[in-house]
Amino acid sequence: MALASVVGVGIIPFGKHPDKTLVDMGAEAGYLAIKDAGIDPSRIDAAFFANGLAGRLFGDSTIGQNIFWELGINKIPVMNVENACTSGSTAFYMAYNMVAARQAEIAMVIGAEKMCVPEFGLINSGETELDTQLGLIAPAGFAMRANRYMEEFDCTPEQLAQVAVKNRMHAGLNPNAFFRDPITTEQVMASPMIVDPLTRFQCCPIADGASAAIICSPHMAKQISRSVNVEAVILCTGSYGNRQDMVVWETDSRGCNLAYEKAGIGPEDIDVVECHDAFTISEILHYEALGLCRPGEGPRLVEEGQTRLGGSIPVNVSGGLLSRGHPVGATGVAQIHEIVTQLRNEGGTRQVNGAKTGLGHCMGGDKAGDTKSCTVAILSV
Amino acid sequence: MNKEAIHHMLPFAPDIFTLPPYEENQPVLLGGFCPDCNDYFFPVPRYCPKCLKTIKKKGIGSKGKIYSFTVVRTPPPFGLPSPYCVGYVTLMETGLRVFGLLDTQDIDRLKIDAPVVLSVESLGHDGKGSPRLRPCFKLQTKK
Repeated sequence: MALASVVGVGIIPFGKHPDKTLVDMGAEAGYLAIKDAGIDPSRIDAAFFANGLAGRLFGDSTIGQNIFWELGINKIPVMNVENACTSGSTAFYMAYNMVAARQAEIAMVIGAEKMCVPEFGLINSGETELDTQLGLIAPAGFAMRANRYMEEFDCTPEQLAQVAVKNRMHAGLNPNAFFRDPITTEQVMASPMIVDPLTRFQCCPIADGASAAIICSPHMAKQISRSVNVEAVILCTGSYGNRQDMVVWETDSRGCNLAYEKAGIGPEDIDVVECHDAFTISEILHYEALGLCRPGEGPRLVEEGQTRLGGSIPVNVSGGLLSRGHPVGATGVAQIHEIVTQLRNEGGTRQVNGAKTGLGHCMGGDKAGDTKSCTVAILSV
Repeated sequence: MNKEAIHHMLPFAPDIFTLPPYEENQPVLLGGFCPDCNDYFFPVPRYCPKCLKTIKKKGIGSKGKIYSFTVVRTPPPFGLPSPYCVGYVTLMETGLRVFGLLDTQDIDRLKIDAPVVLSVESLGHDGKGSPRLRPCFKLQTKK
């Protein structure tokens, strides 16, 4: 039996919000989740706030207490979480574990990021890190994976571009996505080269945004309608062993397999996936780590339309990071929001028919050719 | 850059590579070696990550093959050239695979599996504008 359930989710449209502060955005998403769950905020007994960049961009810290206070949540434990691009999913992991361990009856997670500001540069793994000082920026790591992938397997730059085309098509059906106008493979290929072979449309855009989720015990969930079971949530880090295979990603596969094992299911049981498509190549690599296909078959999966809405295993029907946008701290929670929406059969024009089991997958940071954090959540109804 | 000039320049970080003057020797990347585990690590760790015993600083290589690479066309950090090239190189001597800069002059000739050799140059700055030495792999030219 599932040890916890999601009973409420909220999201504000991702994009540019110059008129809103981080606290504004976080509080708005949190308000929507509380209203969605239909609970009194005083019943929440643990709260997590996820954010990746406010410390660096604005010199802010312990923002969660400010946001939760605005929502009538105070006195209880409030914790601030940073774990690169998995900040939001890490907060969800912690909230889940707190409920599963019966240390909280109801726990709340808000993830928010404000990054469309002039101070913003390019994402790296930390200014003082060796790799950063030798020129490693996040897109370069994935460009090297793409070049090695194309060396080892049958894969063309056009096939990579099709991931961006697909996710943009999905975003057209999601009012909360940042970029919603359809694009073609030719347009993706013709957009400016950022890190060879990845063009601009193959790199996820920065965005402002916030998302929230409320998790509670199975006992409590019975009293609340539209609840979604959390079957497993895992978080794993890399081995940082030398040498790393940049094509068959050990940490990614290990994380996905652990989640399947805990949930007692396999990839064939999944109906809908939200994965960390920070770059087009990322989505291909994650198909393979998730066991949606064998190594080397990812490009064919997207080309055949199997991961499109209506395909055998739709991936990133929200638009993914590539088109919904990637407000770092909000992304992991937004994935939960999308999976919950799908499993509640409330996806509207982007609803995956008959979706009963969904998976959210997130990755963050770079260390020694490996990821710093990988999270996987499996939900079901 | 003449050899005299780099003798007095600081490395971008300590203990990453042997410092000039090189005389007859090649610059070499520095790593850690644990005699008990018989294993190499890069960069030099504080303790052996496997057994936590004291680590020995040791050269880990100067020659290798490009495992993968890319050309970065975004505004460069730390005053690096624009565009600049980076890659993972599998070192011949120890088998370690390390991330590093590749010579921008080789931009049109970079290929996976191409043999490269380490050089140390004045490349970029320390984040505040003072030039720094950085390691950089160059395509090995046939003699």
